[in-house]
Amino acid sequence: METKKRSFLSKPGVASVVTAFAGVVVLMLIFWGMNPNFIKQNNLMQLSRSICPYLLVGIGQGIVCITGNIDLSIGSVLGMSAMISATLICNGMNVILAIIIDLIACLIVGLSNGVLVGKFKLPPFIGTLGTMTICRGIAQLVNNNYNTGDIGVGGLKDLFRDVFYYDRIGYLYYGVIICLIIWAVFYYLMSYTATGRHIYAIGSNVDAARLSGVDVFKTTTIAYTISAFCSFMAGLITMAAAGMGSMQAGMSYEMYGVAAAVIGGISTLGGSGLLVGVIAGASVWAILQNGLTLANVPVAMRNIIIGIIVVACVLFDIMRRSGMIGRKKKAA
Amino acid sequence: MSDYVVTMEHITKTFPGVKALDDVHLHLKAGRVMALLGENGAGKSTLMKILSGVYTRDSGEITIFGNKIEGDLNTKQAQALGVAIIHQELNMCQHLSVAANMFLGREITKGGRLDNAEMNKQAVEQLAKLGIHDIDPDEAVGNLTVGRQQMVEIAKALLINAKVLVMDEPSSSLSNAEITEMFRIVRELKAMGTAIVYISHRLQELHHIVDDVTIMRDGKYILEGTFDELTGGNPDHMDKIIANMVGHEVTNQFPREDVPKGKKILEVKHLNAGKLVRDVSFEVYEGEVLGFSGLVGAGRTETMRAIFGADVKDSGEILLDGKPLNIYSPGSAIRQGIVLAPEDRKKEGLCTKLSIRDNIALPNLDIITLGSPTGRINKKTENEMIEKGKSSLTIKMAHAEVEAGSLSGGNQQKVVVAKWLARQSRVIIFDEPTRGIDVAAKVEIYEIINELKKQGVGVVIVSSELPEVMGISDRIIVMCNGKITGEVDPRNTTEEEIMTYATRFGDNAA
Repeated sequence: METKKRSFLSKPGVASVVTAFAGVVVLMLIFWGMNPNFIKQNNLMQLSRSICPYLLVGIGQGIVCITGNIDLSIGSVLGMSAMISATLICNGMNVILAIIIDLIACLIVGLSNGVLVGKFKLPPFIGTLGTMTICRGIAQLVNNNYNTGDIGVGGLKDLFRDVFYYDRIGYLYYGVIICLIIWAVFYYLMSYTATGRHIYAIGSNVDAARLSGVDVFKTTTIAYTISAFCSFMAGLITMAAAGMGSMQAGMSYEMYGVAAAVIGGISTLGGSGLLVGVIAGASVWAILQNGLTLANVPVAMRNIIIGIIVVACVLFDIMRRSGMIGRKKKAA
Repeated sequence: MSDYVVTMEHITKTFPGVKALDDVHLHLKAGRVMALLGENGAGKSTLMKILSGVYTRDSGEITIFGNKIEGDLNTKQAQALGVAIIHQELNMCQHLSVAANMFLGREITKGGRLDNAEMNKQAVEQLAKLGIHDIDPDEAVGNLTVGRQQMVEIAKALLINAKVLVMDEPSSSLSNAEITEMFRIVRELKAMGTAIVYISHRLQELHHIVDDVTIMRDGKYILEGTFDELTGGNPDHMDKIIANMVGHEVTNQFPREDVPKGKKILEVKHLNAGKLVRDVSFEVYEGEVLGFSGLVGAGRTETMRAIFGADVKDSGEILLDGKPLNIYSPGSAIRQGIVLAPEDRKKEGLCTKLSIRDNIALPNLDIITLGSPTGRINKKTENEMIEKGKSSLTIKMAHAEVEAGSLSGGNQQKVVVAKWLARQSRVIIFDEPTRGIDVAAKVEIYEIINELKKQGVGVVIVSSELPEVMGISDRIIVMCNGKITGEVDPRNTTEEEIMTYATRFGDNAA
């Protein structure tokens, strides 16, 4: 048998990942040119830390996108995670116990999304719009519609802040390491396990998957639960950075997740994309924020530029898929 | 015990209002190919869906490998007994690799980790058993041609130990070389002892692989025999098979009215659009109904959609009253006088949630808002239009505000016609005008068609029902595989002649 060695670039999804990383490099060079401080060690370390929440929500949203669905509740679950953990800790609860309760609450949201979309066949946009609103409500409710005060210092509280945000080994913040570990676990799941393959399959052709014996409900629920877990972690990081819980935490992060996933080459139409790309996608997002700030671009202009880049990425994806570009036009 | 691997006896299945299967039999032997033949709607697919557990039978007996099936057969059970179907529309995950598709839902893992090497190896082995050596198991299925995808699907079926394989129109979307390849694989399967049910309209190709034939018509079992018996050993001698598929001489039960043929209205020259419209040319005259016959997938609907501007044309000319038209969208076709009553009324013909009024007004809003600088809907014009449609078509309705979706099929079709009558259309194309409509309402639709003909409107009807197209048309064009293969005068033709043209695929296998 003559299976020719496939070239690395021809593997599905690899080309868009390479493009995304090339984009990261180009952006870094541009910002370096605009402001030499961009490449300074301090700024790069700051940058690595600011990528973390985008990376986490990008992983969650990316996996849900690969199933062909969307999770609008991500930002609210992030806010809920920050508020529940901060409120419990401020009220004197043991930090670890608080985190566990927080985790359970977040996972329940993920399971609910899975049931609504996978079992009751709600359109994902509507189903998760509902949970998005509910979770923001819970984030406001837990501390009677106030942000929490500072979670205080000493013992586990210090350790919590250090591990999730402030301390580092060498140049690497613990928070960054945690995110990379989470990424690696889900990368393994998506690329090397049957569950991951089923996630791709239901996004590619849900009927074919069902007829082949794939449990569509279970698979959908796993994806949504992973997404909720990622939001929970992003919530803890945000809370550790601020030292308090903010009811507004995570506003619009579901969309940042979409952006990170799409820039990284994951299709919102489902079935394709590699989780490696999300690292590049989240980096592009964070670099644009950071670099445009250093270059003294006004906030309004920053938003416009970032928005244009996201639309361009999705447009490119859709055109590539529908054969408008990247394929030879057939002769008339 | 008989030497049959599958027997289906006295199978009956009723859908609301229709007896889809009535006392049908099927007998399959290991290592033999059974051609299941019949016209569109004869019940072939329904029977196969019962065998594979997608539908449940109302009554009758099924025995698979000596297991008498008690109660309902479900898909899992059927699969476990070794029955697999290759569907007409392939069911694969286009983004996943060949091996991933073959093992979808039953992946091989080692310590929780996918064993891709092993799956690739087995996929390659399975394909090799079919004599296919050049499919890369890592290739995304979407990158393969349809023919190769089909081979992957066959290999997938064998992987789950399918011993009874149903192939529904497997050659309909394949190139000639792929058909040859597919037949080779079918012979391999026969040699392995697989029992195969082969559904196809391509009669000329059957002799390459088929051993036995079962013919169905109108949900009934007609006959069973060996291929040689039925053709008398001469594969070109299909008359007996076709006669049994068609079954009866047609009596003229349709109110065709003869109107003197007038001048040429529409001329289509060398139209090409996609794979199913290839060099199609025809003319429509005043005072005639032009029928289009052919099998499902022959390209009739595609031709009409291309003329109407719903699909992109690759090349060709359309002339109306001698003037060339530039049709680039349905809107432009409507404005220039060509309209289409589509095949699927609920999906394409009507906005079912809107009222009859809104549906009739929708394509005519240009007329209704004429003269108003703000584009205001002129209620008076609109009401006149509705009244006209209502009275000329006898649409039975309480009032025009009723949801179009709540009407009967016949009345829905009338609403579709009404919206086109409201403007001065020169050519009206009906795609399957009476599908799903009861007999009495059918006659009313035919009368409307006759009335249009008398008014000098060019009428084109596409119909898969031979008696209908023969009864109502003044001239019939037969299509097969995207091309016009014949033109007949319905007054002196037979169903056999039309079927001969409709199955003129040629023998494409080497």
